[in-house]
Amino acid sequence: MTTSQALRRCHLFWIGWLALLVATSCGVRPVGAQPTRETRERTFQERAQPLLAKYCAECHAGDAAEGGLSLDKFSTARAIQVGRQTWLGVLAKVRVAAMPPDDADQPSVEERKFLIDWINDTINNIDCVSDAESGHVTLRRLNRTEYRHTIRDLIGLDYEPTKDFPADDIGYGFDNIGDVLSLPPILMEKYLQAAEEIVAQAIVTQGLGIPVVLDKSGAALDGAGSSYGEGARILASQGAAGAEFSVSSAGPYRIEVTACGQQAGSEPVKLGLRVDGKEVQVFSVKATDQAPEVLAFEFRATAGKHRIDIAFLNDYYNPGAAKPEDRDRNMIINHLEVRGPLDVKRDLPVTHQRIFFVQPNEKLSDQDAARQILERVASRAYRRPATKEEIERLLQLVKLARETGDNFEQSIQLAMQAILVSPHFLFRVEAIPAPGATSRPLNDYEIATRLSYFLWSSMPDDELFRHAFRGTLRKDQQLAQQIQRMLRDPKANALVDSFASQWLQLRRFDELTPSTRHFPGFNQQLGQDMRRETELFFADIMQQDRPITELLVADYSFMNERLARHYGISNVKGEQFQRVSLAGSPRSGLLTHGSILTVTSNPTRTSPVKRGRWILENLLGEPPPPPPPNVPELVEEGAALTGTLREQMEQHRANPNCAVCHETMDALGFALENFDAVGAWRLFDGKHPIDAAGQLPDGKQFNGSAELAAYLRSNMQDQFVRCLVEKMLTYALGRGLEFYDQCAVDIIVKHLKANDLRFSALILGIVQSDPFQNQGAKRSNE
Amino acid sequence: MTKSTRISRRTVLRGLGTAVALPWLEASLPRVALGAAAAKSPVRMAFLCVPNGKHMPDWTPDSEGTDFELKPTLQPVAKFKSQMLQLTGLALDGGRAHGDGPGDHARSCASFLTGAHPKKTDGSDIHNGVSVDQVAAEKLGGLTRFPSLELGIERGAQSGNCDSGYSCAYSANVAWRTPTSPVAKEIDPAAVFDRLFGQGDAGEQGLAKAKRDRYRKSVLDFVLEDANQLQRRLGASDQRKLDEYLYAVRDIERRISGVDKLTGVERGINYARPAGVPKKFEDHTKLLFDLMTLAFQTDSTRVISFMYANEGSNRNYPEIKVDDGHHDLSHHGKNDEKQAKISQINHYHITLLAHLLERLAEIQEGDRSLLDNCMILYGSGLSDGDRHNHDDLPIAVFGQGGGALKTGRHLVYPKDTPLTNFYRTMLEIGGAGVETFSDSTGLLEDVLA
Repeated sequence: MTTSQALRRCHLFWIGWLALLVATSCGVRPVGAQPTRETRERTFQERAQPLLAKYCAECHAGDAAEGGLSLDKFSTARAIQVGRQTWLGVLAKVRVAAMPPDDADQPSVEERKFLIDWINDTINNIDCVSDAESGHVTLRRLNRTEYRHTIRDLIGLDYEPTKDFPADDIGYGFDNIGDVLSLPPILMEKYLQAAEEIVAQAIVTQGLGIPVVLDKSGAALDGAGSSYGEGARILASQGAAGAEFSVSSAGPYRIEVTACGQQAGSEPVKLGLRVDGKEVQVFSVKATDQAPEVLAFEFRATAGKHRIDIAFLNDYYNPGAAKPEDRDRNMIINHLEVRGPLDVKRDLPVTHQRIFFVQPNEKLSDQDAARQILERVASRAYRRPATKEEIERLLQLVKLARETGDNFEQSIQLAMQAILVSPHFLFRVEAIPAPGATSRPLNDYEIATRLSYFLWSSMPDDELFRHAFRGTLRKDQQLAQQIQRMLRDPKANALVDSFASQWLQLRRFDELTPSTRHFPGFNQQLGQDMRRETELFFADIMQQDRPITELLVADYSFMNERLARHYGISNVKGEQFQRVSLAGSPRSGLLTHGSILTVTSNPTRTSPVKRGRWILENLLGEPPPPPPPNVPELVEEGAALTGTLREQMEQHRANPNCAVCHETMDALGFALENFDAVGAWRLFDGKHPIDAAGQLPDGKQFNGSAELAAYLRSNMQDQFVRCLVEKMLTYALGRGLEFYDQCAVDIIVKHLKANDLRFSALILGIVQSDPFQNQGAKRSNE
Repeated sequence: MTKSTRISRRTVLRGLGTAVALPWLEASLPRVALGAAAAKSPVRMAFLCVPNGKHMPDWTPDSEGTDFELKPTLQPVAKFKSQMLQLTGLALDGGRAHGDGPGDHARSCASFLTGAHPKKTDGSDIHNGVSVDQVAAEKLGGLTRFPSLELGIERGAQSGNCDSGYSCAYSANVAWRTPTSPVAKEIDPAAVFDRLFGQGDAGEQGLAKAKRDRYRKSVLDFVLEDANQLQRRLGASDQRKLDEYLYAVRDIERRISGVDKLTGVERGINYARPAGVPKKFEDHTKLLFDLMTLAFQTDSTRVISFMYANEGSNRNYPEIKVDDGHHDLSHHGKNDEKQAKISQINHYHITLLAHLLERLAEIQEGDRSLLDNCMILYGSGLSDGDRHNHDDLPIAVFGQGGGALKTGRHLVYPKDTPLTNFYRTMLEIGGAGVETFSDSTGLLEDVLA
């Protein structure tokens, strides 16, 4: 085969692809009578594979396959099912007899029919019983948005530096896909630093809390003994050391002595605590030099001067003892601190109060208070009850901090740092199915977590946790009620910021730089307004629980004066966004939003191709294949192609290799030509009048954006609904959809249609779906 | 070294008024670093990646050998011609389709430093090869505080699949630690500065720092145990995620425990902490180039990768009067005007490279300049952005690798000579030699002095 033949074939490959895609992509239907997997594999080996080898392998095999398509990679019917996207294209070509090419051996009519039926059956007829799978969602790391929201809800802090975390990688169009979210060391560093900063901001350790009225190292006390080690004091014989202090108001005060002993003889060090010369308590100090302990005592103080003394009561010295460590008992004072008054309500930040919902006191030891505090924090952070073992390990960190000389609050800070970098916090951990099982139903904590990250990009709130704890989350109508409640919560804006902005590609707005030389009316502020319009519009559909088809045809939108003026709409005043009727204007629905029109344009001109492609990809769920290499691009002016953009593109389309896909893309895109590259209305492109008429390959015609929207609603509604379901299911699950998910998609679509296509029905359908409710085992063939 | 001999950071900040334009302050350099350099200067490697190929007629010289004339694109670095090797004819076979169809941009980026053929996938199961910088980092990492730095101008893409069914991970990362773990890049100069030289005024020192390090270590020990327990409970498929976590934690632990021996260098730097990400592309790039210079100079790392933009970038450059997007332009269809604009962008990128080379050349290490001790590879995994070809790649390397490279030449190789052959040669020179690397078939001995 000559090179030109090869090229031609490569290009021919795309012919008919799109038209058939449109015709077949809704064709995935679960059906009743099914060939079993075994018979399907057998038919593949006995009949299909030999035909493919005979008629296709000459070109489409091996590394140098034509059009980059090597069919011999697919060695089982199962592999073909998994590679459905590729085989949809193959089916299209074989069906219209575009393949094999004219100059190659042709299959007989029967052979062709067999191949068409077999491929169609294999990739489109999914048996929702035998092919049923829930799919496995890989351990998901919190992405930047989720991290920030979770910290907000867990701690009560808006931790802004998350925007400096490395960008989360995108898969399937979204940044919450478990498989793709990696954790490079630089991010771990940021997590560690973030944890330190967050606890430092959330917890008050000095000053603002209960005032410290006396804070002295052992060495700084006066009285008996001498300085020892780093800042401590040792009492080698009976005696006392202490310090004076004064308080301005009467009330309960708390004394904390950090001490230990060099133990010897039959009993531990006895420490006498004296307040104003009177012994108030005697402590047995069993701690050794390695790990001093904290002794606490509360007392009522009057305003004025006071003195605390710490006495060593049971000196012991026996130089004749057999073992050296039995010879000498001494007492070591590390630190003395007095705080109070304890009964005055302090102006502590909410973040602090929320964490320290209990305080150590006479009845509650430091350790027990720390345990209660950490149990609550860890259970919320891990989004399930923390285990005893986990809490014990956290208490080890508390102990370490106390031994280092930190106060109670600081010791909680350290344990919380650990919680905030634990994999149980940074990842959403779900248990895997038992060995041999294909899936397991998620428990209520896991469902609450999936639900809250889906709708809020954040952790569950107390109400969800309560239902999870009681096991009532899925009882009766609870899920539906919770969804209604959650969608009304301002936190549901996350669905706009994370889902809608990625689905509609609004995030790309930040990277766009329309040429101000060509569009002097455009500036960053206007760009922000455009994005805002679309966000508010989506949020309105969500909050008002409107039919999702309104996204395409709504006769209202949201704008402020600046944006309205850009659109040529009068009577909108001020900086505030307001709901504006579009009656009488050429605009309706998403497609006429400045944001979408700008995102799909080049910096200097509109791109009907990009607009058409955007519609196919994001509204109809049919991404066109990328262009084959070596296709000449549009020339802007002069040179070979002349006339308006439309004329240029029509010349371009005269090339049959291009026409296949472009007939559809261009027709869709041209309907929007009355909007320039920054979404302003226009009647002329330069000196050429705009012609916004388009005709699809199937003969359907429309002229202008309004007719396009009407066409999409009347002819493409099913496809649009299905596309939105697939996009949102992908987002909700955090994984790409597989062929077997078509069964779940069907059920969700049905549920939606039975509920007037209401937004909440979309959410409920997804939440109730099998892949959302279960965690599958990883498929063996992956 | 006494404090008074150094210019305090505060002085520097006051003098500048802004932290964006950074002067080079030789006087403020630590003698520790200079002393260490004089003893034995290590070889450093940097890999600079530009997107969308080049306008090759303005790149490839007409003649070979020592007697060649620089084409327009490389004119801004003409004064470094004697310290440059221009290599023509090298190829990345991994970037080719091999039956995977379109997606040349993603593949060109994924294969640029790995030579591998990335698996076509838009999400799960990304798979590429290990990149040359990470091979070097693994071998040399123990000698410096940071095994490697990954820098760039753009974060990962913000939406969409990036190229014809390829995950954005392929177009946004050139550094790959394992075939499944791309190494994210840092784009914020302030964050790079903080990583290199600690935070706040002169960083916390002594006891406070020791305490923080001890706490960090105990926190990391705690979470390591969490992760180890978790690993036993999870299925094999989630292991990859947890492995990344474990690697990251151990990497930080290593740095905490190894930091003491190197803090002298860390403390010696007095340099204005950048104020964040500059708005202008040019300022941003130059600032990161300054920090690269600092990182090499203080021997904080010996391996750096840098991406001018993510592959397939459609950034426009109004500052040089190019209003159209780079990627759009690269599909020039042989249109002269578009090709001229592409060439303009190529040229602009090189003017920024000149800034880096000047910085490196200003620093003396014994009887050589820092630049002499470097190998700064500059290039793209695509040749012509319209043809999307992965052979005849635009590759140039600056610096002599401590005297190992014989520079001042334009070498032309037979078609399809693997670029990875040069990478292996670089590893060899850098003291990180390996027996095999990717599709390499040997060393390029003729580059040697």
